[in-house]
Amino acid sequence: MTSSIGRHRWLVALFVVLAIVGAACGSGDDTTTTAAGTSDTTVAATDTTEATTDTTEATTDTTEAMDSEPIVVGASLPLSGDKSEPGTAAKEGYEVWEAMINEAGGLLGRPVELVIVDNASDQNTASTDYEKLITVDEVDFVVGPFSSFLVIPTSEVAARYGYAFIEPAGGAPDVFNRGLTNLFFAQPAPGSEQADPFADYILSLPADQQPATFAIVSQDDPFTLGVMDRLKGFLTEAGVELVFDEVYAPETTDFSSIAIQVADLDPDLIVGGTVFDDSVAQIRAYQDAGYQPRAAFFTTGPSLPGPFREALGDATEGVFAAISWFPAAPGFQNAEFVAKYVEMFGGDEADIPEDAANAFTVGQVLAQGVENVGAVDNAALIEELHKGTYETIVGPLSFDEVGRPQGTFMVLQWQGGSFVITDPGDRRQADPIWPKPAW
Amino acid sequence: MSLPSINVLIQVAVIGLLTGGVYAVMVSGLTLIFGVMKIINIAHAAFMVLSAYLAYWLFSGLGIDPILSMIGIVPLFFFIGKVTQRRVLSPVGDDPGLLVLLTFALAITLEGVLGSISGSTFRTVRTGYTSSIIPVELSSDLTLRLPVVRLTGFVASFVVLGVLWLILNRSGLGRAIRATIQNAEAAQLVGVNIARVRSTTFGIGLASVAIGGALFSLIFSFNGSSHLDWISKMLAIIVLGGLGSLPGALIAALILGVAEAVSAVTMTSYISPIVFYLILFLTLVFRPQGLMGAKVREG
Repeated sequence: MTSSIGRHRWLVALFVVLAIVGAACGSGDDTTTTAAGTSDTTVAATDTTEATTDTTEATTDTTEAMDSEPIVVGASLPLSGDKSEPGTAAKEGYEVWEAMINEAGGLLGRPVELVIVDNASDQNTASTDYEKLITVDEVDFVVGPFSSFLVIPTSEVAARYGYAFIEPAGGAPDVFNRGLTNLFFAQPAPGSEQADPFADYILSLPADQQPATFAIVSQDDPFTLGVMDRLKGFLTEAGVELVFDEVYAPETTDFSSIAIQVADLDPDLIVGGTVFDDSVAQIRAYQDAGYQPRAAFFTTGPSLPGPFREALGDATEGVFAAISWFPAAPGFQNAEFVAKYVEMFGGDEADIPEDAANAFTVGQVLAQGVENVGAVDNAALIEELHKGTYETIVGPLSFDEVGRPQGTFMVLQWQGGSFVITDPGDRRQADPIWPKPAW
Repeated sequence: MSLPSINVLIQVAVIGLLTGGVYAVMVSGLTLIFGVMKIINIAHAAFMVLSAYLAYWLFSGLGIDPILSMIGIVPLFFFIGKVTQRRVLSPVGDDPGLLVLLTFALAITLEGVLGSISGSTFRTVRTGYTSSIIPVELSSDLTLRLPVVRLTGFVASFVVLGVLWLILNRSGLGRAIRATIQNAEAAQLVGVNIARVRSTTFGIGLASVAIGGALFSLIFSFNGSSHLDWISKMLAIIVLGGLGSLPGALIAALILGVAEAVSAVTMTSYISPIVFYLILFLTLVFRPQGLMGAKVREG
């Protein structure tokens, strides 16, 4: 017996190693196991080299096209580990920007070269990466990684060396309350303001149509809770009564009990602080419980058109959400961005991740800022970015003294088989349906 | 927040009971495998997610209803189970520690493969009857709304457990399985091919979780990592029921389904997963053998 185990121990070991590598390469969900988590670093190391070689190769062609010293833009992104999916999307967004700007003659007449390295979704690796990009590789500019979690430590590194830090995906309050002046968040507004235009819309309704009661069912997540807090404030202040306020654990999959309670209270408006799958699960549970609100708003979920429609079918009709960008949005260079993305990465335009668009926005702001300054000068660029307004695929962007963007999200509503923009008024594609039909 | 009305409580408890039935299908194979082989198959939930993905792909690609697709998936899983036991688990021997490690490795392999094929987007199957309900009027002000998919799961749990019971108690294979459970060496002496019994049991275990996975795909959203949340729930159920006991697993699944649902409305939904594990904790302290002893009972 013992000898049999001994003989096969190598097999077990091999299998475990294979499994760990498999897990590390695979899913980008938040709930990775410790075993998978630790192995990320090893895999990441190889990835990094690959990534760097890739970009160098890619840019050699363009360097030949424009016969001058390239302007090098560096970034460290989570290309492996639990943020690998949005991280990879951001990389694609940056690469589309690089391709488009080089086709249009480059920046300040010089070609642009991207250097992207993988930080394996790890804060320390990300900080070290930026340190190295700035001091060893001596890149001309740096742009930010994905999510507040990585933006917070890395923006400090950039600040230490006086580099401007335009970033695509860090909108948490902690990003802006550290007194940094070199950071610029290239989305229309901080994440917590996502539902603001929806609140404006609700409160703009004639008094006899306004909801009298509302319920909040939110995942325990800093982003969704931030959005919920603001919305709660606006609505209760205006006299809409909050009749149910529930926070659930991220791993919650079954909303039957919550839905039966909500159905019993029957509020006019239901607001879900959702991440994606929970928006689907909530709506299905409300259907089962026979709850028919007059309006429904979910933070994320309805804005991911493919999977949302697939999971819910006609129940999507009339559902509201907020979004910063989508393929048909009327932003500067958006059509070109969408076409180029599909050309470079294939797939359907509906599959283009918002994270790629946000990274592309970073490139647009950087390019216009640098052209306005007229030189590679980070100090002058920082000063410029605090003053100017930049045309982007998410609309015109400007920034306050701590880099908070001065714009608004768009309110979308599902009408027919897809969603349309209903607010703000200047971007409206269709009038909102109120009250919503039964789901 | 005030306490919910009695009507809300009744509805929540009934939905919890139906959900409990679905849990029972999910765990029946897990407890059976433990009963025969003393292996805690950590990959059980990962196989369930694999089955859910197969059901989802067959539905979204070919339009085959998950209930119908079981006809193909269940034999496939039986085969996968048999081969896995023979080629992966059996060569390692009887060391329970190694076997648990190996099934854990299987689980994260499956997670990785599913993650790289389909990304981290959550999927679920939406059929024509997904949001259908059957109303049952109990009184003038209380009409129960029974979701068809959960009702199907509830009925399926009795079918699956009934079939497993018949296999165990009314077939030659069942006798061999029971003999192996009671005393493997003695069974071998009287001519039972215990290697075959073990691989067949593992196959049956996976076949039953294939059914669980197809039902799961109709009710819940899932991605490659979802098995991590479910395996702990599954283990809690079979420990409460008594490791290896099929009737115990059914009763425990129903109890925990109801407890989870009711605690969500009487306390907060945040507490309901904790109630699940609190019951597990109390079981381990006061009745470590679970509700129904430690072996697959003969009825």
